[in-house]
Amino acid sequence: MNVTFRRGAPTALICIVVVVVVTLAFLSNRLFHNLTNAVEQNQFDLMRTILRSSLRAAEDRAMARAEMVANLPTVRDLFAKRDRERLLAECGPMFEIQKSKYGVDQMQFHLPNAVSFLRLHAPPQHSDDLTKFRPLVVAVNTDRVARKGLVVARTGPAIFGVVPMVDLAGGHAGSLDVGMDFNPILDGLKATYQLELALFIAEEPLRRFATGLPGEVLTEENRRGKFIKFHSTHWTLMKDLATEADVINVTEEGYTRKLRGITYGALILPLRDPNGEQLGLLVVAKDFSASRAASGRSLVWQSLLALFAIVTLAVAVIVVIRGLLLRPVQMITERFRSLAEGDRTKPIEQPETLCQEMRELAGTYEQLRGSDEEKE
Amino acid sequence: MMKKSALHSRRWRWLLSIFLALHGATSFAEPAPALPLAGGLPVVVRTGLRFDQIDSIDENERSCTATVDLRLRWRDARLAYPKEDGALFQNFKDAAAEARMATMWVPRVELANTIGSPTFRTFSLRIYPDGQVELMQRTSSKFATSFDPQRFPFDQQKLAAEVVVRGDDQDRVALDYHQDDLDFSASGSDRKLDRWALGLTNIRREPLSGLYDTLHSRLWIELQIRRQFTMAMAPIFIPLFASLLIPLMAVYMNRVEDGEFQIDAFELCNIVIGGLFAVIALNFTVNSAYPMLGDADNTVTRLFGLNYLALGAALAIIIALFRFNLVQRALGKYVQEQLYLSIVWAAPLLVLGTAIALLLVAMA
Repeated sequence: MNVTFRRGAPTALICIVVVVVVTLAFLSNRLFHNLTNAVEQNQFDLMRTILRSSLRAAEDRAMARAEMVANLPTVRDLFAKRDRERLLAECGPMFEIQKSKYGVDQMQFHLPNAVSFLRLHAPPQHSDDLTKFRPLVVAVNTDRVARKGLVVARTGPAIFGVVPMVDLAGGHAGSLDVGMDFNPILDGLKATYQLELALFIAEEPLRRFATGLPGEVLTEENRRGKFIKFHSTHWTLMKDLATEADVINVTEEGYTRKLRGITYGALILPLRDPNGEQLGLLVVAKDFSASRAASGRSLVWQSLLALFAIVTLAVAVIVVIRGLLLRPVQMITERFRSLAEGDRTKPIEQPETLCQEMRELAGTYEQLRGSDEEKE
Repeated sequence: MMKKSALHSRRWRWLLSIFLALHGATSFAEPAPALPLAGGLPVVVRTGLRFDQIDSIDENERSCTATVDLRLRWRDARLAYPKEDGALFQNFKDAAAEARMATMWVPRVELANTIGSPTFRTFSLRIYPDGQVELMQRTSSKFATSFDPQRFPFDQQKLAAEVVVRGDDQDRVALDYHQDDLDFSASGSDRKLDRWALGLTNIRREPLSGLYDTLHSRLWIELQIRRQFTMAMAPIFIPLFASLLIPLMAVYMNRVEDGEFQIDAFELCNIVIGGLFAVIALNFTVNSAYPMLGDADNTVTRLFGLNYLALGAALAIIIALFRFNLVQRALGKYVQEQLYLSIVWAAPLLVLGTAIALLLVAMA
């Protein structure tokens, strides 16, 4: 075995110190990392809850408006009489106010056979059959039970509340739907919670049903796989957070991405129509840079503390082993070697600074050196 | 006596009535156009602001000089007019715009964080047949900007314009924005800024407190900028890292033979004192050139702290080990020798590690 104690012992001890300190630092960092992950997961959960509750609230608002209008006696009477012009005159101003101030995007009366009777948002367009692309209207007119949900209508996607309408005698007269615009909902969420959002709608139903859409929606730039971006609160940012790969491989777990030096947490929420078919995606993002920066800073500080611990313990090991043991042994060995060669002129200086064991060895040396001198 | 008093009183009443009449006449001579209430309250003013040109950034003064285009859009049904063929809107510029604005309701919106008077201001007003109004205001001015140097030189800052409604609270006039306002605010991709990389533009709503607990609508339009840190590395960080070598050199310069130090502590102490003055001079220079760095906790102040700490530690080592041999007296010369030999490699490692950690923390 060629390893000397001088090198082997400190190396072994320092290696142990390094392993222990690095392990502790790693575990400590993992704990902090898990803590950060938990905080971010809470953020994701909160984002998910906010989105779901906001969509539900929008559905309720749509339903409440529909119920209210559908129960107005004048409206019931005019609709029962199929008096389109007077119905428009009665409800038109109300719809304009609802549209300009409260985010109501569409309002439409349907006949019992799901044929459009009057679109308050587009009065000239009527009498078209809705059975193919408005299953909600068909269902309401079939079982006469109010329903709500996301639907792609002629002018685009909206959150609808559909209610059956009865005439003044109590007979089924058709139905009324109210569609809430997505844009004010998303803009409101941004204003309240500092969230950035993007709404993607499947291209196929959009092309098939939303024939009244403006041309700038269905563009290449807005396309992400089979989806088309319909609205965003900050598209410059969101287009990098919701890439084609993201919207193809949708996970509801959430993911993080660093853009321009800032880490964002993003979450994709599938949007389904009342039949459970996926109609689109809602992507929501939030600035996670604070938690990420804290995590990064923690890693750096913990690494530095580990370095301090390793260096301090290594110095202590070296100083104790070499300073208290090896160097005195080396010095005493040299003295004994000199003595063996007949040189008795080298005393051990300051033996009181040596440790007890070394001092005994030094005393032995001095005894030998003294007895040799007496013999001579 | 009574008569005199009554006469005096009548004269005062007469003067008061003249004052009130005059005040009334001036107050009601040009009634301010009322809010357009056709759409109800609050009147929503869609707002966008574009940093058209950024001339300079003065971090020490915490300001930037820029030309901004403020776009305000609202609807006033009273201004609607029959659509004529050919013209999409009525257009007014500069003096004509100001004259037209004097006769209609215009939201009292101001750029609240400008410093001093604008060096240039011009207006353009468009009124559409349906009563839609678009007011563009180009302003060249100095804008107060908050700089947080904590992560210097890896910091990101925000150049901001504060748009506030004066007079009317947010229940009467509300600033709002949609995606197209954000697009307008972010436009101008050819903008460049020396030593900074331009990032995203964002708009933030933050109401401003007014009298009697009222809130006034306010928007912050913020342009993110990221410092190109290579430009800051040479003048500040190279001297800071170089000065860290002084105390290390002072310790390293000594020599130990059989547990005895060979260089006089006085000479090494001189190196440390010289280094102290060098760091003080560097600190003074940096604080003069970049006062904002001296005001707050940041990487530079931390590195200066490390410099002073290293100098102090070197001085302590020189006095304790080289001058008074305190360790030798307590534990023997071999312990002192090994301690010194360990310090020679451990101190640079720890100092360098700490300096790098300070930079990494700023980068995190």
